[in-house]
Amino acid sequence: MNDINQLVEMLATDATPVRPAASPFMLSFKLMAAATAYLAVSLAISGLRPDLMEKLHTSWFAAEIALLILIFASTSISIALLGFPDLHQNPGATYAPVAVFMVFLAVIFFAWNADTPPAPLPMHSFQCTLGIMMVSILPAIWTFYALRQYASTHQRLAGSIALLSSFSVGALWLRLHELNDSVIHLIQWHYLPMLVFGIIGIGLGKILLKW
Amino acid sequence: MRKSLEGDQLAYANLLRETARLLRPFLSKRLSFESEIDDLLQEILISIHKARHTYDGKRPYTPWVYAIAKFRLQDYLRAHYADQLRHSVELSELENILHEDVTESTLSYESISGEIQKLPEKQAVILQLIHQEGYTAKEVAAKLGMNESAVKVAAHRAYKVLRKKLEQS
Repeated sequence: MNDINQLVEMLATDATPVRPAASPFMLSFKLMAAATAYLAVSLAISGLRPDLMEKLHTSWFAAEIALLILIFASTSISIALLGFPDLHQNPGATYAPVAVFMVFLAVIFFAWNADTPPAPLPMHSFQCTLGIMMVSILPAIWTFYALRQYASTHQRLAGSIALLSSFSVGALWLRLHELNDSVIHLIQWHYLPMLVFGIIGIGLGKILLKW
Repeated sequence: MRKSLEGDQLAYANLLRETARLLRPFLSKRLSFESEIDDLLQEILISIHKARHTYDGKRPYTPWVYAIAKFRLQDYLRAHYADQLRHSVELSELENILHEDVTESTLSYESISGEIQKLPEKQAVILQLIHQEGYTAKEVAAKLGMNESAVKVAAHRAYKVLRKKLEQS
């Protein structure tokens, strides 16, 4: 008990005024704004796929892009909430990406079924994963950096969602850039690796988000 | 907490003391030893101090505090069980010992009964039944509703702890 009292005295002496952390909505807004700007620059450098406007009129492609944007938005909000020990007392929004991801998987499944005759497989394979990875590194770094300024009590989940969010930026970039419609290729080299990186994020979160 | 964030040291000290009072029963229900509770309580208070910038004054304080307390408790228990696992006896190591008669000992029960009472309850009961009342491991197993190997393992662990304590003293 004496130790506790001593510690309390010590901590109280150290209690200089502290600026409260930005609200989760401000943090998620900042993350989304930075990623949007980054995506715009990346697309400006790499170029948009030539048939983009035409493709946006096909329902499965439009749904896929819309859901990728939704994944990115929901993961950004989730990350911001996960930065707070008590999830800012809003657990519902924290787990929203799970539901969005389920819908996304369903859309991909239906798009796969509707892909008759199947679109031809492109000549390349793992290069897509590498491309997504390269584009996702920067968003991953700034997301983890932002999270480290907070105090997450869900480090594994936060790490996983952070990588999913970053990779959704990379996946969105490649989908808007690459002239390819093979659903099998998309599953194999775009979205499965995204899931794998989500799993890697669990371990990364545990290491990088310690406080 | 809002006053504390503005740098009011007295308010902050009071808040931490109240928090410690609030959390002690919560930890007491989950941990057995007073020293463990004190250690963890200190760790939680330090975590509260480190994370105080994430407290939003517009929301209740207790869910925020409990979130940190639960987080640190889980961390502590994870480390504790991992440590126990590291120091546990491998079953393969026990194979030779199990053949030995665990009821044999060169020390009398009475001479070390003080140390035995400090053991976990089950281990103490097993040693008491074996050494004071003269039951065999098989009989103890039947009496306590355990299997014979589990009784021998528990007795072996108790001997190990006792040996360590007697060597130190």
